[in-house]
Amino acid sequence: MSVYKLETRGLVKEYSGTVALDGVDIGFSAGEVHALIGKNGAGKSTLVKILAGSLVPTRGRIICDGELCELRSPQDAFERGIAMVYQELSLVPGLRVAENMLLGRMPKRRGWIDWAATYARAEKVLEELGVEIDARARVGDLGVAEQQIVEIAKAMSCDPAVLILDEPTSALARHETEHLFRLVRRLCERGVAVVYITHRLHELHQIADRVTVLRDGHHIKTVPMQETDIEEVVQMMFGEGVQRARPEDLQPGKTPLLEVKGLSRRGHFENIRFSLCEGEILGIAGMLGSGRTELLKGLFGADACDEGEIAVEGRSVVAPTPPQMKELGLAFTPENRKEEALIQAHSIRANMCLASMGRIAQGRYITRALEQAVVDEQVNRLQIKVADSEDPVSSLSGGNQQKVVLGNWLGNRPRVMLFDEPTRGVDVQAKEQIFQAMWDLSRDGIASIFVSTELEELIEVCHRILIMREGRIEEEVRPDLSVEELTLRCMGEVRDAG
Amino acid sequence: MPVDNVGAWLRRSIMELILFALCAILAFEAEGFFSVDNLLNVLRNVSMQGIIAFGMTMVIISGEIDLSVGSAVAFAGCLTAYLTQALAGLGFGLGLAVGLAMLGSVLTGLGIGALSGVIRVRFGVPTFITTLAWMTMLTGAAQLLTGGFPLTPFPEWYNFLGGGYLLGIPFPAIVFALVFVLTNFLMGYTTWGRSIYAVGGNAEAARLSGIEVGKIKIGVMATVAFLAALAGILQSAEIMSGAATTARGWELDVIAAVIIGGTSLMGGEGKIRGTLIGVVFLGILVNGMTLMNISEYWQHVVRGGLILSAVLINRANQ
Repeated sequence: MSVYKLETRGLVKEYSGTVALDGVDIGFSAGEVHALIGKNGAGKSTLVKILAGSLVPTRGRIICDGELCELRSPQDAFERGIAMVYQELSLVPGLRVAENMLLGRMPKRRGWIDWAATYARAEKVLEELGVEIDARARVGDLGVAEQQIVEIAKAMSCDPAVLILDEPTSALARHETEHLFRLVRRLCERGVAVVYITHRLHELHQIADRVTVLRDGHHIKTVPMQETDIEEVVQMMFGEGVQRARPEDLQPGKTPLLEVKGLSRRGHFENIRFSLCEGEILGIAGMLGSGRTELLKGLFGADACDEGEIAVEGRSVVAPTPPQMKELGLAFTPENRKEEALIQAHSIRANMCLASMGRIAQGRYITRALEQAVVDEQVNRLQIKVADSEDPVSSLSGGNQQKVVLGNWLGNRPRVMLFDEPTRGVDVQAKEQIFQAMWDLSRDGIASIFVSTELEELIEVCHRILIMREGRIEEEVRPDLSVEELTLRCMGEVRDAG
Repeated sequence: MPVDNVGAWLRRSIMELILFALCAILAFEAEGFFSVDNLLNVLRNVSMQGIIAFGMTMVIISGEIDLSVGSAVAFAGCLTAYLTQALAGLGFGLGLAVGLAMLGSVLTGLGIGALSGVIRVRFGVPTFITTLAWMTMLTGAAQLLTGGFPLTPFPEWYNFLGGGYLLGIPFPAIVFALVFVLTNFLMGYTTWGRSIYAVGGNAEAARLSGIEVGKIKIGVMATVAFLAALAGILQSAEIMSGAATTARGWELDVIAAVIIGGTSLMGGEGKIRGTLIGVVFLGILVNGMTLMNISEYWQHVVRGGLILSAVLINRANQ
């Protein structure tokens, strides 16, 4: 008989050649908050999806209440008492709280919905959780934090023994987080086994009883939180990584290309000030929700800012728009390739000339010869693997799609590149080629701003790194610190004068 | 030519092939179909809706729609007639009055279309709603202008625009051909056309690529409304009056032609050349069925079936 409520033994998940999970043994106990920690791609999501029945493992066993069980669908997991709250909210905003909680299982009387019973049941669950939310309120009228709580209440309404929370605090403010923690604590006291995924490491001390660190699909270690600290956890997350160095010939110039003063956008970022010189690669580090993406969009004119000044090569820009910034030599590769950067159904050729349309036309008249020349130039320069440039861009791999996004802008001869997560979902080789492209741009005097969640990339590529926390630039560092230290600084765990 | 190329060519040209087959069948089965007179007649019958269909193709590719084109045709005809009468009444020569009236109608149309675009861009109201409102308003406005009876102020030469021939070809057909060449060029070979495809394919990607999405949307809405006004003038010239009851339900025929031509209602995909095929296809089908004395009721059923099959064929081809 196992001491654990839920246990995995030798869990392996392979996707066409790549191993997402490689022999993971973890036990989750009743009445305990068990945190899962790891970088993006470490295997956390894969693991919890297997536990929730939405992925089937390649090998390995899952043991629930001491007996072997097969979870072939979310329904199977549900029947075993395993409920999951996903990071993206799955509520219907137009319906009331009670309807959302009992969606598809509302009590009925003679075929009609029994509203009195519906509200009574929902209110009972909410009350037991000690939550003060009106069961009759429309979900769309609630704040994000309350919606998150409704989501948990929804999962709790089926009285699960195991509750999996995937980054429940990523959209919450500090005081809302504390409210959520109290709720999670109460669940534990009732004997629920809570599996808790988070990127916010400073939450660990507040909420976790034990912590498991995953890295590249391997189970690194499981320790009681009392016996470890955040520094150690960070070290386990990154391991003995070899830090590659940036080429030495890269020297930023002295002429400022972009100067930003007091730039603010309410609720997103505040009083941003920096300048960017010719050929310089500036990194922006920060945790999720620190305002990195919003800042880049503000700089490019894609979102309107409330206050502040942006000057490009000495010329001040008032109320910028993307066409205007493009004209001034800025370029922006957005974080969501699929939704924001590419037209999936259109050809590689058409996608490669979206931003650089001016360069394939004489006046307004597009000639095929000019267009093909622009496309070929970028395909060769970025070594994009293209069978036929008439194929839809969706037929390319993630790395090659990202190169198309990059090529699309390079064709326009920009002076300043803004990169938002350019390496997300990109293979290692393409990643190196993208860094190479940034360095080549730097040699030509083109400046870049590089935003990435992968902090070791910033250290490898950048001349200088700005650290953003809660919408503010808190400090500036040189890229000679370790990933662990940079991570801690991003979380605000290190506050020294240096 | 390798086999798979033949296959690809066949799939690409499926609508042309079906059209060709239809013509071949009608040549044998429908008496008088395969004569110069009849074919020119078909051409004239389709040209007015066809002129609008090219603009509609641009609108649909950009991800929008215009439901008001039928009413806009009637309104433009009535406005032209009304202005002609009013200007002539003020002492202008009839020729000058007609000229100014035509100009006024076309500019009004352009303005209405642009306004739909502005409402879309500034206030985020879908063009489906705005143009639905225009549809009703313009029908009402046309009736207000004419007082419920057709206005007939036009000089005799005005009929040439709708019923005349130039070198043996119906004048509206010449306009139809010109609009085809122009829009085909616009969509295929200009930055404007390329931007329209981009906006319809992924508006956010287009915006973040520095394309002026708002201007593009306003531009296409103005274009289709302009073309509808133009068709309205030709139509009023054919019947020599401004009548509020003309062109009822044209919006559906026009959209049907665009869809049959392979343009996706989701936006981002489609070809002006496809719409040409769609317009001619519908025209020939109606003409052939009429020649074969098939009742009008059946004609409706067959046309509806054609729209559905065309969409299914295009879907299967993707």
